[in-house]
Amino acid sequence: MSVPALKETPAPLPSAAPLVEFRGLRRNFGETIALADCSFEIQPGEIHALVGENGSGKSTLIKILSGILPESGGELLWDGKVTRIADPRTAQQHGIATVFQETLVLDQLSVRDNVVLGLDRLFRRVHSVADETKLVREALDTIGMNALDPAMPVAALSLAQRQGVTIARALLRPWRLLVLDESTSALDVDARDRLFEALRGFRAAGRSILFVSHRMDEILDVADRSTVLRSGRSVATVTRAETTTDGLLELMSTHEEAQAAEGAARAVPNRALGAPVIAAKGVALLPETAPFDLTVRAGEIVGIAGLEGHGQVAFVEAVAGLRRPAHGAVETDQGAITSFSNAARAGIAYLPRERKTQGIFAPLSVLDNLTISALKRFAHFGILAESRRRAEGRRLIAQSHVATAGLGAPISALSGGNQQKVFLGRLLALNPRALVLNDPMRGVDLGAKQDIYKILEQFASDGGAVMLLSTELAELCLLCDRVAVFHNRALFAVIERKSLDVQALIAAMFGQSGASRGTA
Amino acid sequence: MKFKIDWNAYYWPALAGFVILFVGNIVANPIFISHDNWRPVLLGAAPFIITTWAQTVPIMSGNGDLDLSVGPLAGLVNAVMAMTLPGLGITDPFSMIAIALAIGVASGLLNGFLVTIVRVQPIIATLGTFLTYQGLTLELLPISGGTAPPWMKVISGNVAGIPGVFFVFVLIAVAWWLLGKTAYRRNLLAVGGDIRAAYTAGINVIWVRIVAFIVSGVLAAITGVVFTATIGAADPTIGNPYILTSIAGVALGGVAFSGGQGGLLGAAAGGALLFLIENLFSLAQVSIYYIQIAYGSILLVALALNSMVDRARRRKAQAALV
Repeated sequence: MSVPALKETPAPLPSAAPLVEFRGLRRNFGETIALADCSFEIQPGEIHALVGENGSGKSTLIKILSGILPESGGELLWDGKVTRIADPRTAQQHGIATVFQETLVLDQLSVRDNVVLGLDRLFRRVHSVADETKLVREALDTIGMNALDPAMPVAALSLAQRQGVTIARALLRPWRLLVLDESTSALDVDARDRLFEALRGFRAAGRSILFVSHRMDEILDVADRSTVLRSGRSVATVTRAETTTDGLLELMSTHEEAQAAEGAARAVPNRALGAPVIAAKGVALLPETAPFDLTVRAGEIVGIAGLEGHGQVAFVEAVAGLRRPAHGAVETDQGAITSFSNAARAGIAYLPRERKTQGIFAPLSVLDNLTISALKRFAHFGILAESRRRAEGRRLIAQSHVATAGLGAPISALSGGNQQKVFLGRLLALNPRALVLNDPMRGVDLGAKQDIYKILEQFASDGGAVMLLSTELAELCLLCDRVAVFHNRALFAVIERKSLDVQALIAAMFGQSGASRGTA
Repeated sequence: MKFKIDWNAYYWPALAGFVILFVGNIVANPIFISHDNWRPVLLGAAPFIITTWAQTVPIMSGNGDLDLSVGPLAGLVNAVMAMTLPGLGITDPFSMIAIALAIGVASGLLNGFLVTIVRVQPIIATLGTFLTYQGLTLELLPISGGTAPPWMKVISGNVAGIPGVFFVFVLIAVAWWLLGKTAYRRNLLAVGGDIRAAYTAGINVIWVRIVAFIVSGVLAAITGVVFTATIGAADPTIGNPYILTSIAGVALGGVAFSGGQGGLLGAAAGGALLFLIENLFSLAQVSIYYIQIAYGSILLVALALNSMVDRARRRKAQAALV
């Protein structure tokens, strides 16, 4: 694990036999295409960066390479041979070690046990405890975390240290390809520099690294070549000399998105803004992250954006009362939000991300789904006034533009988009003051999206406040008065309507202020 | 390495409860710790403790794993030991123990296969094998009968002044300690702690869970042998009460129902606690129905406390991930 101190080594010749080659790799989940056509290769002794925004297929590609998902089509060549990687153990036997974006550690086990995890067979230990301790120390030393006691339980570790443990776990394996899936995001500067220095050492020794990062400075710093994924396709592979921040950002954003965003500039909403409905004051998501303020006023649609795992989902959940921030509070005129029911009483209606499991009631009818949250309104001493409930159901169907065979139809018979509109109708039946939406356009068809846009705009025009977390950037540009972009588990920038476009959003999501390059 | 006492370990409440009730039993009846009483006490406590151990290992592997068939499997082994094998002329200790252990392994393989490969909910899968074993036992042995072979006196009697059943505990404890020297226990805690972390790290999660059921089956089979030695015959209904007590013992022993935490020390204390409670009740000549009520209530309270601790742990883990 010793790292020779080396000067910058030149990028390897592309003519060498590649270690890994992807040929038209595909993966779909039902009708959703996660990876459409991915082709590129990684040379021995190369640090190869993989870049792309949310949903571009990076994680799917890494899961296929690590044996977690099988591909639906195309080929993966390992050492020149077509290979199917059946499970994580097989991946390791080939020499592929992956550090996942999630810090997959076991709280109850010690640092040592967490680092050597999976090296052993079912019963046979590969190393003695003494050897394990020594190896773990060396692996941790590579990233400058040699102060960690291997016998310490992981439960006591910070997020950065946990990430260090998962990196040490990968380094300890006899790998030929190290896959880092945005696993440097929680590391502090010193640990990151040490890791990069080690990566250069590994490269000089002929080992390869596939490196996913959302930090442009990191990519410019270490990558020999970078492949850009966009909507599941590999659109370009650029060499170190050709790589610029602006160039990569441009390759990442689709033309359709750019067009949609231009169209958005047309109708600047002219809604009267009222008093603040939701006010985050001094909110820090983790004890060590930066605190921030964010206000949503009546009549305003505020977008929430960020790359996967950068804190935006945790923030929206805090607004809905599903979790408590480490510091600060989200306030309404009823006081600080402390629980889901308390947020609901303050007039906040929340739409969770998983419609099937957290949203609709699949066995119930459209009418039941629409009115189930507001049944109190139709009850007289506990008896439901059925005609009033049906009338309200019809009104909500019209308001939410739901296409259905009737109020009694089972909701499971509806398309995903119509189910989502019914769900929105159910929230509107509560007469909320604010809608907090966690990625509402997931799995929703185009027509239904247009309807949902209309519902949201109408709700805002009527004086409601909307907080809209979306992974579709064009949609944020279209609907929002301003967009709050999260980066590194804190609010990074708030982009006002006048300067709102997909490019600006991507730049901020990647931690670039403005569209200017190199100012991380 | 220096020996250090871990005051945060999961088993302290169980051990404290054990000490309190142990003293309670002595105060209520000083004869409790007289030498003559060692043998009946240990024989009485054995099924509580060993079935709790049998329950502990699948529960430690998490993912809702548990084994409802431990009691009925012990009953089936009891019937085979006292009725079927003597009927076939097999009475030597080695064959009998080998057959008992083989039944335990087979049951573990079946439960593990149903849960991990067929993917039946553990509670349903082991309810199915529980009913099957019960039916099989009644087919082999419609009413109590049979006789235990003479060598089982080693377990039911005293060896050099020490009850023979004590050595059964020692053997199991040594086997568990040896298992802890292999990679298995770490793999078990990893699978119970977070199956995704274990899987992505390259652990064979299916076999870790199957082996947990095998350990459970083997321990249940040992309980069946102890039953046979204790009553000197076979009773088709002897195992059933220990389904509930094994789960209560696990909860009292501080073993996390969400998996990934626990061990046989806490489980032994949990199982022994139940025996001590029963003993106190019968000393006070309380009706058997009250003992049942007590078990039911203890199970509920222990499970409630267990899930509160679990929830606190989950919330802490969630807060760390943003």
